[in-house]
Amino acid sequence: MLRASLKSLLSRKLRLTLAIVAIVLGVSFLSGAFVLSDSLTARFEKLLRSINQNVAVQVMPTEEAADDDPRPLLTQQQVDALAQVPGVAAAQGDVTALGVVPFDVRDGKPVTTQGAPQIGGGVTGDDPFALVSVAEGRWPTAETEVTISRYTAEQAHAAVGDRLKVYLPEVNEAREFTVAGIVAFEGDRDSLAGETLILFQEAFAQRTFYGAEGRFSGAYLSTEPGVTQEELRDRVAPLVPAGFEAKTGEQANEDAANDVQEGLSAVTTYFFGPFAIVALLVGIFLIFNTFNILVAQRAQELALFRAMGASWGQVTSSVLVEAVLVGVVGSTVGLLAGIGLGLAGSSALTAFIGAQLPGAGIQVGATPIILAYVVGVLVTVIAAFVPAVRASAVPPLAAMRDIARPDKPLLGLSIAGAVLAVPGAVLTGAALTGIGGLTLPALLIGVLLFFLGVTLLSPLLTRPLAGLIGRAVGWGVSGRLGVRNALRNPRRTAVTAAALMIGVTLVSTASVLAASFNKTIDEAISSTIGAEIVIQTNSTQGPPDGTIGFSSEAVDEVRALPGVDQAVPFYLTVDARVDDGSPPFGGVFAVDDLAVARDMFALKATEGDLRTLGPDEFVADQNTADSRGWSVGDTVPVELNKGGERPYRLVGVYEATPIWTDTMILPRAAVSNFNGPLAFQAYVSLDDGADPGTVMPEVERIMSDYPLVTVGDRSSLIDQFTNFTDIALGIISVLLGVAIVIALLGILNTLLLSIYERTRELGMLRAVGLSRGGVTRMVGTESVVMAVFGCVLGIVMGVALGVAIAAALIDRDFLTTIAIPWISLIVFVLIAVVAGVLAALWPARRAARLNVLAAIAYE
Amino acid sequence: MTTTTTNVAARATDLWKVYGSGEAQVIALRGVSVDLERGRFTAIMGPSGSGKSTLMHCLAGLDTVTRGQVFIGETQVTGLGDAGLTRLRRDKVGFIFQQFNLLPTLTAQENILLPLSIAGRKPDDDWYKTVIETVNLGDRLGHRPSQLSGGQQQRVACARALVARPEVIFADEPTGNLDSRSGAEVLGFLRNSVREYGQTIVMVTHDPNAASYADRVIFLGDGQIVDEMTEPTAEAVLDKLKGLDVGVGGA
Repeated sequence: MLRASLKSLLSRKLRLTLAIVAIVLGVSFLSGAFVLSDSLTARFEKLLRSINQNVAVQVMPTEEAADDDPRPLLTQQQVDALAQVPGVAAAQGDVTALGVVPFDVRDGKPVTTQGAPQIGGGVTGDDPFALVSVAEGRWPTAETEVTISRYTAEQAHAAVGDRLKVYLPEVNEAREFTVAGIVAFEGDRDSLAGETLILFQEAFAQRTFYGAEGRFSGAYLSTEPGVTQEELRDRVAPLVPAGFEAKTGEQANEDAANDVQEGLSAVTTYFFGPFAIVALLVGIFLIFNTFNILVAQRAQELALFRAMGASWGQVTSSVLVEAVLVGVVGSTVGLLAGIGLGLAGSSALTAFIGAQLPGAGIQVGATPIILAYVVGVLVTVIAAFVPAVRASAVPPLAAMRDIARPDKPLLGLSIAGAVLAVPGAVLTGAALTGIGGLTLPALLIGVLLFFLGVTLLSPLLTRPLAGLIGRAVGWGVSGRLGVRNALRNPRRTAVTAAALMIGVTLVSTASVLAASFNKTIDEAISSTIGAEIVIQTNSTQGPPDGTIGFSSEAVDEVRALPGVDQAVPFYLTVDARVDDGSPPFGGVFAVDDLAVARDMFALKATEGDLRTLGPDEFVADQNTADSRGWSVGDTVPVELNKGGERPYRLVGVYEATPIWTDTMILPRAAVSNFNGPLAFQAYVSLDDGADPGTVMPEVERIMSDYPLVTVGDRSSLIDQFTNFTDIALGIISVLLGVAIVIALLGILNTLLLSIYERTRELGMLRAVGLSRGGVTRMVGTESVVMAVFGCVLGIVMGVALGVAIAAALIDRDFLTTIAIPWISLIVFVLIAVVAGVLAALWPARRAARLNVLAAIAYE
Repeated sequence: MTTTTTNVAARATDLWKVYGSGEAQVIALRGVSVDLERGRFTAIMGPSGSGKSTLMHCLAGLDTVTRGQVFIGETQVTGLGDAGLTRLRRDKVGFIFQQFNLLPTLTAQENILLPLSIAGRKPDDDWYKTVIETVNLGDRLGHRPSQLSGGQQQRVACARALVARPEVIFADEPTGNLDSRSGAEVLGFLRNSVREYGQTIVMVTHDPNAASYADRVIFLGDGQIVDEMTEPTAEAVLDKLKGLDVGVGGA
């Protein structure tokens, strides 16, 4: 039996290839994610090792103490004491700060990195650990000198002797320095991972970053020969002050590598996960259809087996064996493709961040391999299960007769569909309207049931809906014949279309949400923000906590500009403890004068008063107040970044809007408890008649020293909000692409079967005078009807789901309006038409080239 | 010769058809020349492997010839490309198959009108009515093929061939899949359409009884025309076949 099914397997390579492609795509995304994250981690690990190769023990603040105020520092005496410990060969105090940003010498713009840190350090001379060495010029010897890494020099277009402007955190200003030298990393590398590095004279750096000379943020120790890292760690342990810990170099590397891996696998999982899921989900339909077709084609062969005495189990397992083989082949190819994908991704990502990571070869762990095979085989077997059972139901008598394919009634299937779809829709609705936040599992189950239900119902919809589509696309005799062919087998058409439906549903839902979000933001910003100029801070280098942004002095300067009416700075932190819980999602704000902010943002009081806040007063939006059970007069403990817990009294509640939801506003005095004094955003309104075009450059000039700050008009604020949705939509469109490719294969598969089954009909049509072009158009129309049918079903479901979710979000004030992106939806249909045409190219050619005589000849 | 041209619906001249090459070579037709007169019902008979189907396929432009020429009316079939053949089939040729070959998605009426809609021609209403009456489908015109009996399906196929008024209708064993009563019905109105409307029909069959409906029977043996008979009867045809010294093949 196995031999027999193997042989027949080989004879249907083409059809199975299509099924394998679906598995390959899904598995490659899945394993690619792991390979990418493992390979990148390996490269980072190698990098870390090379950074710390001479470090035996490091003394650094503990994780808990790192955020303390004042921050824990080592004194010169403490570092010296560490150096005296027997076995220590060399000890070096660490003077480092982040957010030290150089400005381009040529255009004066801040030099930014793709997420890599922008490091400033203090040096006294040669690095005892030999990580960096002077490649050109010398170390800084004066306060006005810096030595920079070669990568920094390239990015800032700076050479030795040039004047380089550098933004200094802590003192929050930009100053000019002379470039005294350029350093290269060990191995003559420009940078380690695309970071910028600016080294100052040590005493200057200590004063600037730590407020006093002789302070260090940590210390590095090397061992004398014969002393292990662990021995040294234990020896220095008694000297390590509170808030610090000693770690071996090995341990430090491992911890850092783990952090990197965690971050990377989160990224790769979120990025590749949806692709893998969509590819496999769509793939299930393709495989299901393929096996159905195979079983139908082999009905006579299977019946013969049965007639010769094969049991039902044997027939079923012969089909399942095929499925397992297809799964194994698909998983293997997918795994290899995934490894390629991972490596390509690793190179692309490294190139993108400008990092020069050391190569670390292919990292293929056991997880991607096991996962690839388990998922690949499981998906195939699940998809093939129903066809396999169906195969066993072929009566032995069928061997003696022509293959009879009666159109089975759709009643049972449709009832099952309704049984799933209706509770699915109800559950989805309940989850969306449910009080106390979205219950995600209920929503997911509801959506899944609804999806399955509609899929089962779709054969019933084929005749009416696809018939309607057919009217639009079925031109001429060939077109009409093609439409009839598409409607001939509703199950097959529906399953084929379902593959496309999934992808389109997903993208339609996302498009509706994105369009609604964009429209909401646009309306909200246009109607509620009375500012012509918006000053913002890029927070990709770190969350807002007062250490990134611009100073209040800069805001004063803006306020003093001619033509400026009001300038309202917002101070923001997202790290706080409010009412013994997490802070509002939108962040904790502080403003100079709430009355002014209220007018600028058209905030409406729903309770209490929105007046200038006293030192212990705050206001919050309606949603926050409701969800936390606050009412005016309540006192709430708030613990900000530093300075401990402090009670604030709620004096007013404002109406929640999409840009003011899940927020609270504190008085200006609270900023002293933020990590830094910088404002995160400022909104500038102009006097009547003032020209934003003349004021804007002035504001830009004032803000030019703050590297993360950008100045724009209202539309730039809208762009900032909608950027996110644009990126999300971009990713989802690629997802759609993947789904379309697989769905295309499904259509191709179905068409090939149709042509095979209808050989005689095609011959007859040719015999009565249908031209090759006519046959091509007929097959093309059938294909387009299936594709558009799937697309329209997907759009209907996607829009329904999108609108439902949007309605739920409106209920929570995240949205104010629902927008249906008609143009996108029309584009989807057009894409489906093109996909249909593409899928039909080859089958149609085959049909048109059919030998008429061979097709109609009996015998 | 010159006078007959206008009276000939289809003509083959020194027709050769060779399959394969070398040792596997099979010669299906060996220089067959035949004129098929307009307005007559011609049957081509012969035992299995005699080349009767090949001859019909070549005459109808369904198969290419190795040597020789085929004309349908004034049109030279040999040498036509696919587009030319398609046009020929559209305008000049009708087919009736053993397997009926109706489109299951179309009703009987739609099947009958299919060649005309493919050609983009309007049916001649009077002629259409005549054809429908002839095939006697009555209230069955709205039915799908799956709802019709074999005889009814073949009558639909006949109507489909007749309605376009082609130069020639080629019928390939039209009664091969029918019981004798249905077969007799189909043959009856094939003959009527020749007698009453002047339709030219060429039928391949191995059934002497079916051949007896024809005006003329051509006997093929081993790729050549070995004999012919006009105004045949079933008995005379059977005798002739027996005389051909080859088994008739259980028909």
